[in-house]
Amino acid sequence: MNGPRELPRRVVVAGDGQLGALTAVALRKALPSTEVLVIGTPPDPAALADRAPTALPFTNRLHDRLGIEEDRLVREAGASHRLVVRYLGWGGAGHEGLAPYGAAIDPKLKTGFARAWGGGPRNASTEAPPGSLAEVLAAEGRFQPPSGEANSPLADLDYALRWNVPAYRDLLVREAQRLGVQYVKGAIGAVRPDGNGGIAAVAIENVGTFEADLFVDCTGPAASLLSQLPDAVREDWSASLPIRALLFGKPGAARLDLEDRISISSVGWLSELSGRDGHQAMLAMTKETTQDAAFAALPAEPGNAVPLDPGCATAPWLGNVVALGDAAAHFEPLAWLNLDLAHRQLALLLELLPGQVPDPRERDEFNRRAGLMAARARDILGAHYAAPGAVQLGSLARSSELNLELDQYRRRGRLPFFEEAPLMVQETSALFHALGHPSGEGVLAQAADPREGDAARAAFAAKAQAALAAVPPYGAWMKQALQS
Amino acid sequence: MSPAEKTPVRVVVLGGGTAGWMSAAALARLLGDLVEVELVESEDIGIVGVGEATLPHIRGFVERLGIDEAAFMKATHATYKLGIDFRDFGKIGESYIHPFGSFGEEVAGVGFHHYWLELQRQGMADPLGSYSLAVEAALANKFAPPAQDTSLASSYGYAYQFDATLFGPFMREFGLGIGVKRTEGKVIEVRQDAESGDVTTLVLEDGREISGDLFIDCSGFRSLMLGQTLGEEWEDWTPWLPCDRAAAMPCDHVTEEIEPYTRAIARPAGWQWRIPLQHRIGNGYVFSSAFISEDEACEFLLANVEGTPRAEPRLLRFKAGRRRHSWNRNVIAVGLASGFLEPLESTSIYLAQMAITYLIELFPLGGKADARDRAEFNRLVDMEYDRVRDFLILHYHATTRDDSEFWNHVRTMKVPDTLASKMELWRETARVEKYSDGLFYDASWIAVYLGQGVVPDRYDPRVGIPDPARVARAMGSLQGAIRSEVAAMPGHREYLTAARERLAEPL
Repeated sequence: MNGPRELPRRVVVAGDGQLGALTAVALRKALPSTEVLVIGTPPDPAALADRAPTALPFTNRLHDRLGIEEDRLVREAGASHRLVVRYLGWGGAGHEGLAPYGAAIDPKLKTGFARAWGGGPRNASTEAPPGSLAEVLAAEGRFQPPSGEANSPLADLDYALRWNVPAYRDLLVREAQRLGVQYVKGAIGAVRPDGNGGIAAVAIENVGTFEADLFVDCTGPAASLLSQLPDAVREDWSASLPIRALLFGKPGAARLDLEDRISISSVGWLSELSGRDGHQAMLAMTKETTQDAAFAALPAEPGNAVPLDPGCATAPWLGNVVALGDAAAHFEPLAWLNLDLAHRQLALLLELLPGQVPDPRERDEFNRRAGLMAARARDILGAHYAAPGAVQLGSLARSSELNLELDQYRRRGRLPFFEEAPLMVQETSALFHALGHPSGEGVLAQAADPREGDAARAAFAAKAQAALAAVPPYGAWMKQALQS
Repeated sequence: MSPAEKTPVRVVVLGGGTAGWMSAAALARLLGDLVEVELVESEDIGIVGVGEATLPHIRGFVERLGIDEAAFMKATHATYKLGIDFRDFGKIGESYIHPFGSFGEEVAGVGFHHYWLELQRQGMADPLGSYSLAVEAALANKFAPPAQDTSLASSYGYAYQFDATLFGPFMREFGLGIGVKRTEGKVIEVRQDAESGDVTTLVLEDGREISGDLFIDCSGFRSLMLGQTLGEEWEDWTPWLPCDRAAAMPCDHVTEEIEPYTRAIARPAGWQWRIPLQHRIGNGYVFSSAFISEDEACEFLLANVEGTPRAEPRLLRFKAGRRRHSWNRNVIAVGLASGFLEPLESTSIYLAQMAITYLIELFPLGGKADARDRAEFNRLVDMEYDRVRDFLILHYHATTRDDSEFWNHVRTMKVPDTLASKMELWRETARVEKYSDGLFYDASWIAVYLGQGVVPDRYDPRVGIPDPARVARAMGSLQGAIRSEVAAMPGHREYLTAARERLAEPL
C-alpha cells in the first residue's frame, strides 16, 4: 500500500536550553497533532550552542520560517545586528581584515574590480576602496533591516543577529508553551532500547518514564541520549582544532555596534561581541595557555571556564535518536559557526522529518548531509588556523577539501564549491581575505579590461551612497524600533 | 606585470565542430590578450552535430560571449524550448514533459510532490504537469520569456532547439571575428616532449607544424591527442546505456504551429527524437545495434516520421562513456573526445560548455599545466558526467515495458550503486537525494520518477495534517493561475516570428 507515513505520536526533546526550546517550537509547528515533550536536563556549561548569544544569517531565515519575528527578538530578547566581523592579527601582527555577510560584490564584477577590492582596509596604509555595502554601513554606523524589496539599495545586504541568551530562551519557552509543548524537569536516567538501534523510553530521575517515537538530543557535549546507543561513534577532531578550553568574561557595558571582533595571539583567540545587554568577551585557549596569561588576555572580569574536547558524531541520527548542536558536533565557537551548524541541522531534520518509524534511507540521507555540514564547519575553522597569524597555535591536520580550498585560493583566488558549506563562496572569499590568506589572481581578473574595474567601482560608490542616504544611524533606528 | 606585457599562452584547438569552436571562441573572448588561439580543422573530417536541442545554460554562454541572441537564432534556425516530452518510456501510451521549470512550491516545509502524491492517492489530483507553468505553456504551444521577479511567471527557464550543423559555423565566424586563427589541414602526427610527455606540436599532412603550450582536443570520438597519443583510458558505460547508433533525418514541418519543446519517443530498441526548428523538423532514432540492425533502424525511422523527408537517414556511431581523465598533461579534451552521453536529455553541448567553463577557471596562467589544477578540473568534470549518467540511466531503468529485448535488458539490468541508492530513497520516502552543484535538481528527478510511474510507497507524514479538500482547493488555485498565465502568453510561432531579426532566410 502507499500513503503518507504515520505521524509520530510523541517526540521527546532532551535539553531545554535555547537549542532545545527552538527545536521544540519547530517540531510542534511542523507536527501540530504530535505531543512534544521537553526534558529540562541539568544545564551543561560546556553546551556551547546553548550559550551562544549569536549565530549567522541562516538563523534569521529559520526564525522567519518558524514565525519568530525579528522585531520581537529586538523588543523582547535584546537583539541587535551584526554586519561584519573584524579579524585582528590573523594575517600577522598588526593585520586587520573585515568579513561581511551577504553577496559582498556582484560576482560578475570579480574581475578588475576584485583586484582593487580589499574586502576592507587591510591595514592602515591600504587605500583599497570598500567593496561591500555591509562594510560601508558598519563604518558609518548606519543600518536598518532591509525591506525585502528587490530594488531596495539594501537588497544584497545580509546580517547576523545577537541576543541576550536568557531572554531569547524565555521567549522561545513562552512560544513553546503557547503551542502546547509539554515539559518535565530532571536528569536522564536509564533508557530502554527499542530493539531497532534506538530508544523506546527514557527514564527521568524522580519523575517517570517517557516513551516516544522520536528523541531529539539537545543535551550538549554529553549527548545523554545518543551516547547511550551501542552504535554511537565519535570522531575526534583534536588533531584539526587546537582549542581545549574557553574562558568566558563577565559582561561589560552595553555597546551598540554593527561590528564584532575576533583577534588572535599566542594565548589563543579572543572574541568580543557587542550587544545591548553588555559587551561580551570570550577567550579560546590551547592546552599551553596558562591561567595567568588567559586572565591577562581577557579584557573583562573572568567568569567561568569550560573544557573542550572537539569532535563530532559520525552518525548524529541513530535509530530514532537525532542529535543536534553540541551533542552532534562539539567545537570552539569561532566565528559563531557552532549555533549556525546546530540550526542548519535542525532545518535538515525538519526537511527530512520522519514518521512514526524512521526510514533507514531517510536517516542515511540525514547523516550524509549532516556529516558534510559538520566537516565543512570544521574546515572553515581550519581555514582560520591556517592563517599566517594563527600558525603559532600549532601544526594541525587538514582535510583534503581544506587543502584544495587553500591551495586554489592562494594560487588562483578561486574557491571550489562544496556541498553544505556554511558560507556562500563570496562570504568565504571575504573571510579568507580578512584572515590574511594571500590570494592569487584569477585568470579572468587578469584578462579583464581595467575600465571594467573603474566602472564597477563607480557603480558601487553610487550604490553605497544610495544605501547610506536611505538608512538612519543604527542607534536612531533601534530607538524607534523599541518605541513602536 | 600588466596582461599586455605577458607572453600569451599558445592554445591549439584541434577540431572544428561545435566543441572546438565553442572552446576557441570562449577562450579568445574571455581571456583576451592572455592567449593566442589557433584552431586546426580539416574539411575532410565530418562534424557529428547531433546536439540539436540544448539546455538553458546555453543562454549564459551566448550572453557571456557577447553574442546577440537574435543573430544567433537566425543563424542556427533556432526555436525556443521549454522542456522535453517523453513518450512511452514508463509504459506505452503514457507521456510526460520534463520541464525547464518547477512544479508547485513547498508548503510548510514539505515539497509540493508529497501533497500531490497524497491527493492523487485520494483521486483528487490532476497530472503532475498541470501544476507546472512550463509544462502547460509547452503543451499549449505558447512561449514568452520568463519574468525576472519571483512570481509564477518566473518559474521556468528556456533553451533553444537549433541546427547543430549551423552552430559550429556560427561560432567559427564569431571566433574568427575576435582573433581566433584558423588553420585548415589534417593532422598526421602528434609530437610530444621526450621528457615531460607533453604534447608540443601537431604535424599536418602538408608538412606544416603547429606548436603550442596547451592543446584542446575536440577531435570527436577519435580523441586524437587525449585518447590516442596519451592513451587515456576509456570507461565504457554501454552496459547501462546500450544505445550506440543514431539515424538522423530532417523532415518538413507538417503543422503551422512550432512546438516549443523536444519530443523523445521510446521505441523498441531505443528512442526517437523530434526537434522542431524554424524551417524543418529534426528526427532521429537512437538505438542499440545489439538489438536492431542499422538498416532496420533506418527503415523504422522512415516509417515513423511526420512530414516529407528532406534527406536519407544519416547514420552516426557512438559509445557511452568517458575518458578516465579529461585533462592529462597539457591536453584537455572537450566534447566527444572527453566522453559521450546520448542526447536523451540534450546534455552534449552543456557538457562541452561545462568543461570550457572549468578550463577557464583553472586555466594555466603561465601556460604550464599544474597537477593540482588538472586534478580539480577532472574532479569537477567527472562529477558532472557521473550525475548526468545516472539521470539518463533512470529514463531506461524506470520502466514497466517488456515488449522488446531492449527494454527487458534495461529494465532488469543492475544500475550503478549511486543510482540504486537514489532510487531506493525515492521509492521508500519520496525524497530526492540532494546536491547543489550539478545539472539536474529535485524537479527534474521528480518529473522523471513520477512521469515514468515510479510512485513512492510512502511519503512525508505531514501531508496528512491539512484538510485534503483545502489542499485540493489550493492546488486548484495554482492550476487556475497557471491557466491564466498561459492564456496571456503568445503562441510560440507568433512570438518567434514577431522579430524579423530572429528569423532565418526562407530555405
